[in-house]
Amino acid sequence: MGAKRIYQEYQRPILGLVSVAGLFLAWELVLTYLVPLNPFFFTKPSLIATAFQEQVLGGRLWHDLIISSRAFLWGFSCAIAVGIPVGVLMGWRRRAEYTLDPFLTALYASPLVALAPLIIVVFGVGLLAKSVLVFLLAVFPFIFNAFAGVRSTDRLLINVVKSFGGKEKDLYFKVILPSTLPYIVAGTRIAIGRGLVGIIVGEFVAASEGIGFAISRFGDTYQLPEMFAAIFFLMITAIVLTEGMRKLEAALAPWRVGQEAR
Amino acid sequence: MVPYIQAKNLNLTFRPKNRDPVTALLGLDLEASQGEFLSLVGPSGCGKSTFLNVLLGLLKPDSGDIRLNGNRITGPGQERAMVFQEFGLLPWRTVQANVELGLELKGVAAATRRQRSAELITLVGLNGFEQHYPHELSGGMKQRVGLARALATDPDVLLMDEPFAALDAQTRDLMQMELLQIWDRAKKTVLFVTHSIEEAAYLSDRVVIMTARPARTKSTIKINLPRPRDYEMRLSAEFNDIKARIWETLKEELMTRSAGDGS
Repeated sequence: MGAKRIYQEYQRPILGLVSVAGLFLAWELVLTYLVPLNPFFFTKPSLIATAFQEQVLGGRLWHDLIISSRAFLWGFSCAIAVGIPVGVLMGWRRRAEYTLDPFLTALYASPLVALAPLIIVVFGVGLLAKSVLVFLLAVFPFIFNAFAGVRSTDRLLINVVKSFGGKEKDLYFKVILPSTLPYIVAGTRIAIGRGLVGIIVGEFVAASEGIGFAISRFGDTYQLPEMFAAIFFLMITAIVLTEGMRKLEAALAPWRVGQEAR
Repeated sequence: MVPYIQAKNLNLTFRPKNRDPVTALLGLDLEASQGEFLSLVGPSGCGKSTFLNVLLGLLKPDSGDIRLNGNRITGPGQERAMVFQEFGLLPWRTVQANVELGLELKGVAAATRRQRSAELITLVGLNGFEQHYPHELSGGMKQRVGLARALATDPDVLLMDEPFAALDAQTRDLMQMELLQIWDRAKKTVLFVTHSIEEAAYLSDRVVIMTARPARTKSTIKINLPRPRDYEMRLSAEFNDIKARIWETLKEELMTRSAGDGS
């Protein structure tokens, strides 16, 4: 009776945990009892766990993470600083939209990671090239979401602020930005994913350290458990970041909770 | 003597892209005296709200003259404030911050704002809800916030654009009574747009009936019911006579409009 109630209360985390654990268990069992494991082609969870322990607790992957984070933070900050003003401007000023739209459409539609080799040639191996790559990938969600947020701003609220004597600046800060903020936060989640792609691709192409480099080096040297450990480490980092944004979204826009409920 | 509010020969045509132009106001004349409660009724879409927005200063007429206290209206101003039909509350602001919006834009110091918003929140009966967000309020409460916000800057003229249209019938009756009490104390000039003949007759000193679009004033009916008015007054024969008179005039316009729609 008590167990049943606990299950009903926590159905979501329990089922989520069971499915993940089930996957790893099946993976482990199949490669232990059914199919002989060829360590050059594949690996299994128990080996990954050992490698994870060594690499993460040993500090090697933390070092790579910090290296990668540096480029990520630079590129991402620039994406915020450029993307939000550009998106807001495009949303509010039709001429800005018409002028910039062709470039954005073209760049957003193309797989920008194709530019990675060129960017590394131009900016050299290291922090700068990786930051540029992160910036290029992460800036678009900020632009497009800020744009969509401004466009969805309620005209009535603009009129309200105008009717009380609000100036252009007041419209931006008292109506447009607050109403766009939830869109920007949602864009941030997408941008995190794209930014991580930028980092990893940059480090695949040319690097001497960083998470992407670690994954690629372990792969090249057939150290598959270590490679998977690095991949899972990256995955966990991404989950922490995007879930953090989700929490932040709820904290920054409490009124949205009510809107969604309606 | 110059009327307090005077609109003379106002014309306004909207010219939306890729669509036929719509003449909202055509030679509209209207006058209101200070402290008067004036209602505008007319067929829906006739241009009543357009007129309020011209008076508020958000829309500019193509031609004609509109003056408040002898001064031509060219844009929004502190002596006018609007209560909007769809409330127009900023969803990211608490009740208190919404009420303070006008004061903030005027550059009033925070301490004064706080004091003033507290007074008005009490006036509209929202004590205890200062820190609530609009989505946590009922329609009636939201419009109380809208009213408090409009009154906060202490305007001389209160423009109300079908303020109670989105409320249920009982809340609406209650809000009407409270509005009369507040008006009685604050002595504002009120221009009140409504669809409801009953509402117009109950609240107003005069009811202006507008023509079908484009809006002109068709006729004005003076409401000589004593004040303060109470709910029971609505049951009197006199009140029903007034309603009948407004209805007779309005009916012709509604016919015109439906004939126009058919063509």
